[in-house]
Amino acid sequence: MFGHKGKGNYAYVVARVRAKKASLMGDEVYQKMLMMSLPEISRFISESGYQKEMAELAGRIGGIDLVEHATYMNMARVFSDILRSTTGELRDMVSAYLTKWDLWNLKVILRGKAYGADKESIKEDLVPAGRLNEVMLDKLLSLETDKEVIEEFGRMEHMKVPPEVVNAFTAEGRLGSVEDYFDRLFYTRLLSQLDPSSGPKRLFQDFIRREIDTINLETILILKMEGIFGDDVMKYIIPGGKQIDKKLATQLANAETISAAANDLSQLDFYEDIKETLTENGSLKNFVAAMKKYHIGLTKKFSSLYPLSVIPVLDFMIRKNIEVDNIRIIARGIESGIDRETIKELLVI
Amino acid sequence: MPTQEITPTRSALLEVKKRIKLSKSGYKIMKMKRDGLIIEFFAVMEKAKKMRDDVLTDYGAAMQKIAIARAVEGAMAVKSAAYALKADPQVKLGSKSIMGMMVPKVECEVIKTPMTERGYGVIQTSAHIEEAAQAFEKLLVTLVRAAEVETTMKRLLDEIEKTKRRVNALEFKVIPELQEAGAFIEFRLQEMERENTIRLKHLKKKSEAA
Repeated sequence: MFGHKGKGNYAYVVARVRAKKASLMGDEVYQKMLMMSLPEISRFISESGYQKEMAELAGRIGGIDLVEHATYMNMARVFSDILRSTTGELRDMVSAYLTKWDLWNLKVILRGKAYGADKESIKEDLVPAGRLNEVMLDKLLSLETDKEVIEEFGRMEHMKVPPEVVNAFTAEGRLGSVEDYFDRLFYTRLLSQLDPSSGPKRLFQDFIRREIDTINLETILILKMEGIFGDDVMKYIIPGGKQIDKKLATQLANAETISAAANDLSQLDFYEDIKETLTENGSLKNFVAAMKKYHIGLTKKFSSLYPLSVIPVLDFMIRKNIEVDNIRIIARGIESGIDRETIKELLVI
Repeated sequence: MPTQEITPTRSALLEVKKRIKLSKSGYKIMKMKRDGLIIEFFAVMEKAKKMRDDVLTDYGAAMQKIAIARAVEGAMAVKSAAYALKADPQVKLGSKSIMGMMVPKVECEVIKTPMTERGYGVIQTSAHIEEAAQAFEKLLVTLVRAAEVETTMKRLLDEIEKTKRRVNALEFKVIPELQEAGAFIEFRLQEMERENTIRLKHLKKKSEAA
């Protein structure tokens, strides 16, 4: 994956993403959107940079689904554009990070096929924001069996899929093991390929390790709410977290309540950001939003500290993703009749 | 029972008396059953009311959770997670008796599936989707229980109606008709006895005159 030579065109790409970042929606825009009706939101976003995608999809999709698909399509195009404009090690890092979307698409294809959904409806839910373009995703989609899809995906992403993982999946028919395998492999491989001796790579590694912390903590808390503890939790933990190492993860996995886990987390630097959300009320809604806010706060800080690194690029990509999420949260929230206060809590601003 | 169809004999009278006794005891039992069913119905109705409230609460909560999941994660992600589900909810159907009436008994066998066995991966699965899945599982359990209580209530209502009709039929038709038939037979038997006595007196007079 990390095969490109040279440091990469940081100055050019950072300048481009900074210009793009300036056009992202700000807090006041979301406040305005909260006061709008669904047709008004559709019209508003058509006039706010999503015009091309809205017009392109309007013939096939309507209503709230149009907003969701158009915003995703726009995001996919922006990410592909950024990836195309990068060179050298910067390209390697951006491309590695965007593999996340390839995993999303793989899951959509495998789940759709397992359910028996038709090709067209699966294709509609794909977001080609990763390394794999539409042609490659079409190729995956056209394969007959799940096994072929997994093996072809492995070849495209240079990810080795052990036969026992595929066999376990074909025997049990559950996708969970394959999905978890790829999710773990994505992060472990990424960390192993990053050489911390280079400044930008060290920053990127740090960013990835913090993201692993977020994912692991969310996994631990979800499973805790399900009444799953100890080793049954540890098998889903991705190694390499920045603050949550194996020892702390085991401690958290063994904690019987969320409050007990909160005590163990009190030494971590994001504890202040999430402590209010760690309650036994049976919902992790606020915790998830708080972790996202912490994560973007961090990238914002690092992108100003290290302007000529991969961080400003990642910061923009995360913010673009959050813009798409926020538009969808507002539009779907209004459509479903969720009260404005709850929608505000769900927004990551 | 039309009086023309009645044979006014002693055995018929005995038969009618036996039927009156049986009908009266049946009437008493039916009345007790009707009262018992009504008491049972009110108890089940209280349960049904509570179940309806629970269904409404759980439905509201589940819809709220799925709306949040669709908003935060997107309808595409929610649909994709739903595609991965492998678990089929299973219920066990049985029956139990309330005052001789069979009502369904539904037990949830497999409705709640642990997250690790749902079909999709655990890592990267959103808490919102998982909370929505849990809320819908809870709703399904409540719906199954509500279905049992509602069916029991409907069966009880039907049975009360049926028993009420039987009690009324016994009270206002069968018993009065049988009593009428008994009175008619007794009257006819007395009439026949009087006719016999007169006939015998006539015969005695004739034989004395001869």
